[in-house]
Amino acid sequence: VNNSFAVLAGLPGQGMHLHLDALSVLFLCILLPQIVAGAVAGMRGSATYWAFALGMVLALLAADAFTLIFGFELMSAASWLLVLRGDQKPATFYVGIAAFSAACLIPGIFLPASSIAFVLVALGAGAKAGLAPLHSWLPRAHPAPPAGVSALMSGGMVKVALYILIRYAFITFAPAAQPWWGEVLVAAGIASVVIGSLRAMLETELKTMLACSTVEHVGLIAIGLGVALRAKAMGDPALAALGLQAALLCAVAHGLFKPLLFLGAGEVKHATGTTSLNWLGGLMRGMPRLGGLMLLGAVGMAGLPLGPGFAPEFLLLHAVIGAAGAGGILARIGFTALLAALGLSAALALAAAVRLIGIGFLGRPRSLHAAAAEDARLAPLAAMALLAVLCVPVALLPGMVTGALTPVVMLLVPQADPLPLAYAPLSLALLAGLAALAAGFIFHRWGVRGTREVPAWTGGFGRPPAWLPFGDPHTQPSATGFAEPVSRALARGVLAPGGADPSEAFFFGPLFRLHMRCVRVAERLRRATIRQRLAFVFAALVAFLLALGLGEGG
Amino acid sequence: LILLDLLTRLAATLLHAVLVFALAPLLLGLVNKLRAWMLGRRGAPLTQPYRNLLRLLRKATLVPVTATQLFPLWPVAGFLSISITAMLVPSFTTGLLTAPASDFITIIGLFSLARAATMLGGLETGFGFGGAGAQREALFGVFAEAALLAVVLSFVLLAHGATVDGIANTFRAGHIGISVSLGFTLAALLAVALTETSRIPIDNPSGHLELAMVHEAMLLEYSGRSLLLLEYTAMLRLMVWMSLIGTIFLPFGMGRADAPLSWLGGLALWAGKLGLMAAALSVFEISSAKMRVFRVPEFLGVALLLGVLASVFLFVAARIGS
Repeated sequence: VNNSFAVLAGLPGQGMHLHLDALSVLFLCILLPQIVAGAVAGMRGSATYWAFALGMVLALLAADAFTLIFGFELMSAASWLLVLRGDQKPATFYVGIAAFSAACLIPGIFLPASSIAFVLVALGAGAKAGLAPLHSWLPRAHPAPPAGVSALMSGGMVKVALYILIRYAFITFAPAAQPWWGEVLVAAGIASVVIGSLRAMLETELKTMLACSTVEHVGLIAIGLGVALRAKAMGDPALAALGLQAALLCAVAHGLFKPLLFLGAGEVKHATGTTSLNWLGGLMRGMPRLGGLMLLGAVGMAGLPLGPGFAPEFLLLHAVIGAAGAGGILARIGFTALLAALGLSAALALAAAVRLIGIGFLGRPRSLHAAAAEDARLAPLAAMALLAVLCVPVALLPGMVTGALTPVVMLLVPQADPLPLAYAPLSLALLAGLAALAAGFIFHRWGVRGTREVPAWTGGFGRPPAWLPFGDPHTQPSATGFAEPVSRALARGVLAPGGADPSEAFFFGPLFRLHMRCVRVAERLRRATIRQRLAFVFAALVAFLLALGLGEGG
Repeated sequence: LILLDLLTRLAATLLHAVLVFALAPLLLGLVNKLRAWMLGRRGAPLTQPYRNLLRLLRKATLVPVTATQLFPLWPVAGFLSISITAMLVPSFTTGLLTAPASDFITIIGLFSLARAATMLGGLETGFGFGGAGAQREALFGVFAEAALLAVVLSFVLLAHGATVDGIANTFRAGHIGISVSLGFTLAALLAVALTETSRIPIDNPSGHLELAMVHEAMLLEYSGRSLLLLEYTAMLRLMVWMSLIGTIFLPFGMGRADAPLSWLGGLALWAGKLGLMAAALSVFEISSAKMRVFRVPEFLGVALLLGVLASVFLFVAARIGS
């Protein structure tokens, strides 16, 4: 695919240039189902939503820097308006980050290929994508707007930022590529992965938890890109292809299951009035269809085999193992530690997904609202079903999907020869089918059939009193309680005191305090009396003359 | 000739599957028997696990009223994922038909799937003990998976391939030698295996105090066929882990799937390996006590450290060797 168009709008005398190649087609394919799903789920009447979608599409289609920046900023501004409509407080933080991102990105893309340009683009796109240490706006801003917008922000907007990073790091800046570019991306990625997965395990608010999980997946994509960028600069196209396959497949899978989960969270909010896991429970009984779709999304989020999230994880782990297999000794030790940290976060993501389903959808209701929940409205369910159907080929035929990614990999690393995927879910499913047949035969032939409903045993405790129809909610673990062992073992080492995000405690917090101090100084200057001002001017004059005199004398 | 070769490998694969599935309860019976002997008791007969399973098969299956419609599905999901690994991990021969799919990372993923299914089953009824078991299992899983991946890295570096079958073939060829790294990986893998199969010192499989249970606590509400599947899955998991450790660390003399004459030696060796590991497990279990829950992350942290050190030693050795 190689097409260019010119549009007669935009900069005077230049217009806007659009261009389609394999990379932008791939990201358009990631974006399209989410835009449709968000619109079907209830955003189709909102002009801001369509401006948001248009901005993203324009950024992906851009052939010149002006169109790219225009689309990107249109996306930022529209999403800011949408966040503002949901909640005022994160919107301010969000617009600050968006301004910082633009301030880095605009000089970055106009500079010639060099390390400075790469750092600026990585900072600008990374801040917008939610890469550590600039990720902490994401769990605040993404949950604020309605579910359809949250879904598109989490699944689509971060991908547009990553698209810009990929395009500039792999194509535009390719002549100046250095191995340490990839190492920077890997370091930022693993920090995002560990912090994101741990916070996803600890958060009790459903949408905040999903946003933390997005930080984790952005980190996984960044690690894949970093490994690929480093391998490309060091002349190892096979490893570069593997890392790129992992990153791109992760982007595809995440673009399907994360919007699905966000739309489901919106429906939970609609049905029960809350998204706090501590007030939910037993939703599978009242909302079986929503529960089934959410289960599929959670399987993807946890990266379990036979689900959509496992193939990218598989490729990424193999890429990291490959990177640890060659090179300098310090880098190899670093990649070993990276592998262990990836294992830790994979298990954390699994626990977070189990918590989402086990606390929110299984067990007994923790509030009357959760007990009275009825199945979701038809339109959001249809949107979720669309995403779920698209998850199936990614889950069961990942080899075909990586095959379809080959032109993109070839575009980014021209010498590459991508290998076929070694993970074949269909053969695993065949083995599982054989085992299920054998077990089914034994049960059918010799077993006792049928089930009987009885009160739960619950360790021999008596029946609950009549005014607690679902038992005492405090006798089952809450979302906070479920995360408590992990929090005790890990949070003290990884997060800041009090469970705060390290980026907020150690980066944004001091920055904010410095800002306040400067404001206070400026305010005191502004309020100075005429005598103080005259004294200030006189002192400055004396100091200047003294400096001049000392300079002359020396 | 190719067809004949394929048929022999198919026969080996079928034999492997039948033996692994049929002998898993016997292995647990052997471990229990040996442990009872060492404690000076007579112990239950070797076939006791079969009798337990048969008894469960004839019992009614009860579903608690507070459980959702997915209650009977979690044991099935756990059983299916462990039975896939049982067919992937070689026992007495290498070169099974399932060998190309036996990538170590796939196997780790399948163990995670089984763990997730068990945890969801524990949370299903919404009562305290099941939830407590699930949250402890989540904690153990975090450290166990990190340690396991670190161990896998040294195997892949030594064997230049990620399938269990390929690792066994390379290690059998014997030009690896005995190295410090392999010792470290063995220690780390044993610690992870004890966690995954929920044996002492992580968890007590014969414990009857709900407060101290981990794995058993998640099964408390299950009965009948569902409990049968869960218990059988635990037996199968022990079998898979023992076969895995035996295949990687003692591959010498394993048969080849396309040479039926070598199967006999492989079978005898497999039985010997399983007996040896069952004896070692029972000695270890009677000589140590169950840990407190929050000591387990430290125990697995040591395993993680050993796994990372094993790879670091390999890097240093490669550096000195070159």
